[in-house]
Amino acid sequence: MKDLDRKLKAYRISSGEYDRIQTLLGRPPRGIEWALFSALWSEHCSYKSSRVHLKNLFNKSPRVLMSFGENAGVVDLGRGEKVAFKMESHNHPSFIEPYEGAATGVGGILRDIFTMGAKPIALANYLCFGEPTAPRMASLVDGVVRGIGGYGNCVGVPTITGQTEFHESYNKNILVNAFALGLFREGEPILSAKAQGVGNLVVYVGAKTGKDGVHGASMASEAFDDDNSAKKPTIQKGDPFYEKLLIESCLEVMREKLVVAVQDMGAAGLTSSSFEMAARGEVGFNIHLDRVPLRDSSMTPEEILLSESQERMLLIVEPKNLAKLKTVFARWDLDAEAIGEVTKGPEVELFWQTESLCRLDPKVLVDEAPRYERPFYVWKNKNRVEESDVKKAVTPDIKKILTVMGDVRGNGRSWVFSQYDQRVGAKTAHDCRDSVGILRLPDTGRGLGMTLGCRPYLMRFDAKVGAIDSIAYPALELAAKGIETMAATDCLNYGNPEQPEIMSEFVATIEGMSAQCEALGAPIISGNVSFYNETMGENITSTPTTGLVGVCDSVEHLPKSHFVNKNSEVYLLSNVQMQISGLWSEVARSPTVGHGDIDVKSHARFVELTRKLVSEIRLEATRVVGKFGLGYALARMCEGRLGFAVDTAALRSSGIQSSDFFVEKLYQAILVVNSDHALKLRERFNELAGGAQAPIKLERLGTVVEDKFSLGDNLDCKVSEIQSAYQTSWEVLIAGLS
Amino acid sequence: MKIGVRIMPKNEVLDSQGRAVERTLKQNKKAFAEKLKGCRVGKYVLLEVDEADKSKAIARATEIAEFVLYNPLTETYEIEVLS
Amino acid sequence: MIGVVRFLGTNCDQDVFEAVHQVGLKPKWVWHQDHFDRKDFDALIIPGGFSYGDYLRCGALAARSPVMQSVSEAAKAGVPVLGICNGFQILCEAQLLPGALLKNNTLRFKDDWVDLKIVNSNARFGGAGLKKAHLPIAHGEGRYYLEQDQVKQLFDDEQVWCVYEKNPNGSLENIAGVMNDKHNVAALMPHPERAMAEFMGGEDGRRFFESLLT
Repeated sequence: MKDLDRKLKAYRISSGEYDRIQTLLGRPPRGIEWALFSALWSEHCSYKSSRVHLKNLFNKSPRVLMSFGENAGVVDLGRGEKVAFKMESHNHPSFIEPYEGAATGVGGILRDIFTMGAKPIALANYLCFGEPTAPRMASLVDGVVRGIGGYGNCVGVPTITGQTEFHESYNKNILVNAFALGLFREGEPILSAKAQGVGNLVVYVGAKTGKDGVHGASMASEAFDDDNSAKKPTIQKGDPFYEKLLIESCLEVMREKLVVAVQDMGAAGLTSSSFEMAARGEVGFNIHLDRVPLRDSSMTPEEILLSESQERMLLIVEPKNLAKLKTVFARWDLDAEAIGEVTKGPEVELFWQTESLCRLDPKVLVDEAPRYERPFYVWKNKNRVEESDVKKAVTPDIKKILTVMGDVRGNGRSWVFSQYDQRVGAKTAHDCRDSVGILRLPDTGRGLGMTLGCRPYLMRFDAKVGAIDSIAYPALELAAKGIETMAATDCLNYGNPEQPEIMSEFVATIEGMSAQCEALGAPIISGNVSFYNETMGENITSTPTTGLVGVCDSVEHLPKSHFVNKNSEVYLLSNVQMQISGLWSEVARSPTVGHGDIDVKSHARFVELTRKLVSEIRLEATRVVGKFGLGYALARMCEGRLGFAVDTAALRSSGIQSSDFFVEKLYQAILVVNSDHALKLRERFNELAGGAQAPIKLERLGTVVEDKFSLGDNLDCKVSEIQSAYQTSWEVLIAGLS
Repeated sequence: MKIGVRIMPKNEVLDSQGRAVERTLKQNKKAFAEKLKGCRVGKYVLLEVDEADKSKAIARATEIAEFVLYNPLTETYEIEVLS
Repeated sequence: MIGVVRFLGTNCDQDVFEAVHQVGLKPKWVWHQDHFDRKDFDALIIPGGFSYGDYLRCGALAARSPVMQSVSEAAKAGVPVLGICNGFQILCEAQLLPGALLKNNTLRFKDDWVDLKIVNSNARFGGAGLKKAHLPIAHGEGRYYLEQDQVKQLFDDEQVWCVYEKNPNGSLENIAGVMNDKHNVAALMPHPERAMAEFMGGEDGRRFFESLLT
């Protein structure tokens, strides 16, 4: 019995799961089956704690062509253009070895995209670091950013947007979430991961298999303890050069229709890719492990099955096409090896030379994986107070804006994004400097916008509000550039799901995100869940990262995110349903308080109105008001010598007070317009708002001026003070960076 | 035969990696700051050449080094026979 | 016909191909294993982007591939050859241009926009009237280096093509681009193919392609 306990622990299988395996097989598992169940029943591969809730995500829309269950979701943008996109976490590997962890995170998400047949054209990343003074933090920041740049730059896909957060809850568990997007031009095929056609060959393509990352998938499903050194050998190393060759060659064979189905060998390597492909297609496989190209000839069959060596793909190919396929790969200096064939099944049988190692129905491993209904409680509003108390929690002071601009929480991110190639591909219209990344689509000339969401401090305030905001805020950011949100992806980073508090936040997140997506008509087409982000019992802030993608008709005259011309007029467009003390409270180390609630339907109308206004009226600049409220947002728009001065008379008539520049209000957007177009803006707003939706307002705030930044009531400073605070170098803010 | 090729940046070329390593070392320990007088970072390439004769092996390795391993403008190299 | 050379790992190849096409010239792919006759092309471009993953030294492995023999013959016969970013590194490694490109002085990759001053304008490369250009850079190893005693010669021989207004990488004498002694091989670190239209942030790059056949 002691032996069994040890085995269960080694393979991270619970005793309940062991009983389930026995029932399914009608006998105890044996030999290599232990490793198979360990990998495919891990949280990482099976989504066993989240599956029952994920099915509630809003994902219905006629424009969704591929969704959950495939390597990435695909959405039809109309006019012959389609995109595939997805986001994935690489948190644990990045904490252990930041450069390689982040780099392979980028590599993995790119493979998910081109596996679908789409050419990767954009990357983005969402990073959460701990406090700058936390142990190892400078080297984690440095390593992660270098790793992302090292991989993305080399493989030739531009990084066009991203977000970087700092908070103590990430001190021992940073988050590295990578987003990738690929484009299908008219007539290009969408590939599936569903194996088909008895007698077809299972072909292995890409790098040789080594011992990297063996047991990685079950490691990612386990909380950190302090002894990470013992886990170090499992880290994978990526090769972006090899990936580039793989992208070019795979897209070539796909477009020549030489491939029936394809899957990337990601978490749990050959095991998950082969069993999942077979299960999806309801077929069987015979796989000959001795035919797998090896980097290390001493590897055991178990190690071959579980290796997470990077840059490898599994293809299903008709026998008549094998020779042609090999020719293409040879041209790109890559090997393609037939390692098995598709059978009627239902079993997948693994061979080592003539010996059968295991014969299992893939459904047992994939479809019959356990599903847990972890306990949670029904969500109730948190930290709500009277409106006047929110105001009291925030004291207006221009120095506070300058202070947070010189703090990692409010400072510029150019140290990060200047290390990424933002223009390779020659489609970039708005880069990381802007609040939204925008590419020009080559065939129709339309703009393809993308932006990432989730503000962790809102999750700490109230997870339901934070979850709604993770869709509501980026959707408004897109709308403020004239872009209509088409679909979203998510990457849900949470602590230990066995704790009801965490599970409750998770369930509230699904509800909140889904409700806002439905109101916007924007389906969630792909996603990833990362649980057990905890170290020594401390959970991270629940962080549901999102990526929203949309289109606009043209990339000409897109509004910038900063002031462009002196004397232009500055307006505030708002639909305020909630007010919170926001990030100011966290900076002051006092509790965040708020008043009100977000009505997702009202917000969806506001988003649509904003988008119409922006696409119809020529605006110079737009910016959504976010962290630190309106005053900070206006300060962020200063550019060169251009600053801002309030129009005191206008403020008096609209009743805007100095506290309104500091309280965070959900939601507002700043619109900057040349005075020639200002009248048209006001008229069009009145038509669109139609008077009926009272909370939606357009108010004049002031004017773009030179050198001066003034919010009235002695809230003044020089533009140069803002610039120097905002551009404080990260070498100063994060000791140990160089 | 195993042959090592040590490639170093030329002394007159600014070695930015070496400079960064040196600076880090000196910032971290007083003894390093006092005693460390220089630091340069190079590369080491291990070749396995199918030649039994030592001089032939060296000749082959030299040819390889000259072909691509080092840049005569910015780097120097040394060859050593290992086994 | 403009030959656009592709090595394994080259990633600005499509962008350059498209840029050539956009200015009304005819681009044609040249594969790293190809040999060609110097009469096949009116001009050649070596695009940027991590050939062979920048392993060993940037451009070193590409410079030794078969196609570079043909490129070298064409260059010696007077065919214009333009190198961009990694193409600059390859041409230096192939000894078709003087000097070498070392790691940026920050030891970090740098993506930014730069202002270039054209020191010696050239009819084929940017056009005789070109005085300055606003272009993007994206490189980790763009610090131009040449032995001290040869720098003066480079200026005297009018081989310095363009310099940065503000040095982004520690480059010697702010050098951003150079030419060979016959002025038919030229290369620069910035990417003209990424400045072809207003939406990209500027159109100054067009001149570098339009002028190739003048």
